[in-house]
Amino acid sequence: MSRNGIVAAVLAVCMAGVAAAQDIRIVKQGTGKSDIDLSGLQAASGQGGALKQVVRDDLMRSGYFNVVSGGAAITVRGKCAVDGAARIDADVANAAGGTRYFTRAYDEPSATWRRAAHRLADDIVKAVKGKPGMASTRIALIGAPGGRKNLYVCDADGQGMAQLTRDDKPCMTPGWTPDMRQIYYMSYHGGYADIYSVDLGSRTRKKVSNFPGINTGPSVAPNGRQLALVLSRDGNAELYVMDLGSSRVQRLTSTAQATEACPTWSPDSSRLAYVSDRSGSPQVYVMTAAGGAAKRLTFRGSENVSPDWGPDGRLVYSSRRGGRYQACILNPATGEETQLTSSGADYEEPSWAPDGRHIVCAKTQGYHSDLYILDTLGDPEVRLTTMQGDWYSPAWSPR
Amino acid sequence: MHRYVALRFLVLTMTMAVFVSGCSGKKKNAGMATNTDVLPAGDTEYAMSERFEDGERVTDVTFENVAFGYNQYIIEAQEASKIEAVSQYMTQNTNVRLIAEGHCDERGSREYNVALGENRAQAVRAALISYGIDGARIQTRSYGEERPLDPAHNESAWSANRRVEFALYR
Repeated sequence: MSRNGIVAAVLAVCMAGVAAAQDIRIVKQGTGKSDIDLSGLQAASGQGGALKQVVRDDLMRSGYFNVVSGGAAITVRGKCAVDGAARIDADVANAAGGTRYFTRAYDEPSATWRRAAHRLADDIVKAVKGKPGMASTRIALIGAPGGRKNLYVCDADGQGMAQLTRDDKPCMTPGWTPDMRQIYYMSYHGGYADIYSVDLGSRTRKKVSNFPGINTGPSVAPNGRQLALVLSRDGNAELYVMDLGSSRVQRLTSTAQATEACPTWSPDSSRLAYVSDRSGSPQVYVMTAAGGAAKRLTFRGSENVSPDWGPDGRLVYSSRRGGRYQACILNPATGEETQLTSSGADYEEPSWAPDGRHIVCAKTQGYHSDLYILDTLGDPEVRLTTMQGDWYSPAWSPR
Repeated sequence: MHRYVALRFLVLTMTMAVFVSGCSGKKKNAGMATNTDVLPAGDTEYAMSERFEDGERVTDVTFENVAFGYNQYIIEAQEASKIEAVSQYMTQNTNVRLIAEGHCDERGSREYNVALGENRAQAVRAALISYGIDGARIQTRSYGEERPLDPAHNESAWSANRRVEFALYR
């Protein structure tokens, strides 16, 4: 190769690198971060200090604030106390602008003391930034410590981890009802891939679907009345919708030579996005919830799987690019697509936070999975699970 | 013996013949051509009746697993004899019932893999029906990627894990 040829080749590689970098550029959509001063929020005791620390962590995690000591226009003054029960008295103001956002008290029993901080943090995000927060939300997930797979639920900061089942059987794809009282999921509890629901209040389980063959992909519509699922009772994996009142199922697809999987509802419950391999590789399609023509949405990446339709209408899914699964976002209205991750790990089973900004997903590296929170506005990813074993299949609560 | 040939298996066999001879080096692309609607909507020829109780597992005879390509559930030509062997056994032992168990390798969506493993099991069931076995004697179960035969993370493990196992009961 001539010297010019080498230069050209090096240039081409560099250009390709630039193109790839532009490809994954994150578009800043929100306003920048604001400084907020918590030094006027007094901790009444040691545990009051722990409560204040939760407020600080929540504000940082929201992505909208830098917590500073002094010099910030936005101030939080008041008192954090835990004396059996937890109480925060908070006065949130913009001193420079002469604005008082709110003065409010937060009471919680001792068992749920952290929620006092979560509620305050969400109120600050709402009042100052006009955005929904996510500090008070929860995440359903599958954990496999010691290889024993069960359904769990935790808070959005990874605390308060609670085990919901004791099956020690493969299970996956939990999803919340809109009232957040139940979690639907798939489990081999009875030997086959069947769909169950767990009531979080009574801690009871109900069998929802056990047709012959597989019963997978449970996704409860935002209207709370329908369940999207995949059944193979007619001899092939197809997409169905179950009316939760009558338990009657209606078949939506008829692709005798294709596999359907992974349904997710549009925010208005009128449409379903799902995976089909009718083109020869698994890709994301959309159709109305009453059935009809399927429209293919994804064309980049050798596979596109596990779509989740977010509260602002954008879809997040896992896209196989360069042999790795990366988190990608598509606005189906405009066709605009963004690749959110680009590391050598696999990012799978993404789920939108109700704030429309963050995404939780299973990140696998070195054959080990943990949950990570991604920020669509560019903050670094945050590890959510830190215990032994694999943790995967996250589902962020709708509120 | 195989006078009764169902449409589905015939179509699969014909399509396989085309791609095996046409582009043997690109099995994945060849599979694409087969992933189209070939049966009329509402076809229930392969519908399954209620799940039967497993009964006693047949252990005095074993059958080879049917192997599959990555993301594929089409039965390749060289695998057909394994299914024929089971159909002969089931023809001779009319009290025997089968659960065809579909499995996948660890790559890809956990949830999609359950559906993919199911379609592998359903393809084997359809082949057995085409060989004249009563569909009421055959059920399917898919474990997706949850029960690998070989837990290693390499091509040879993945190849062994993409399979349908024959679980026979009497």
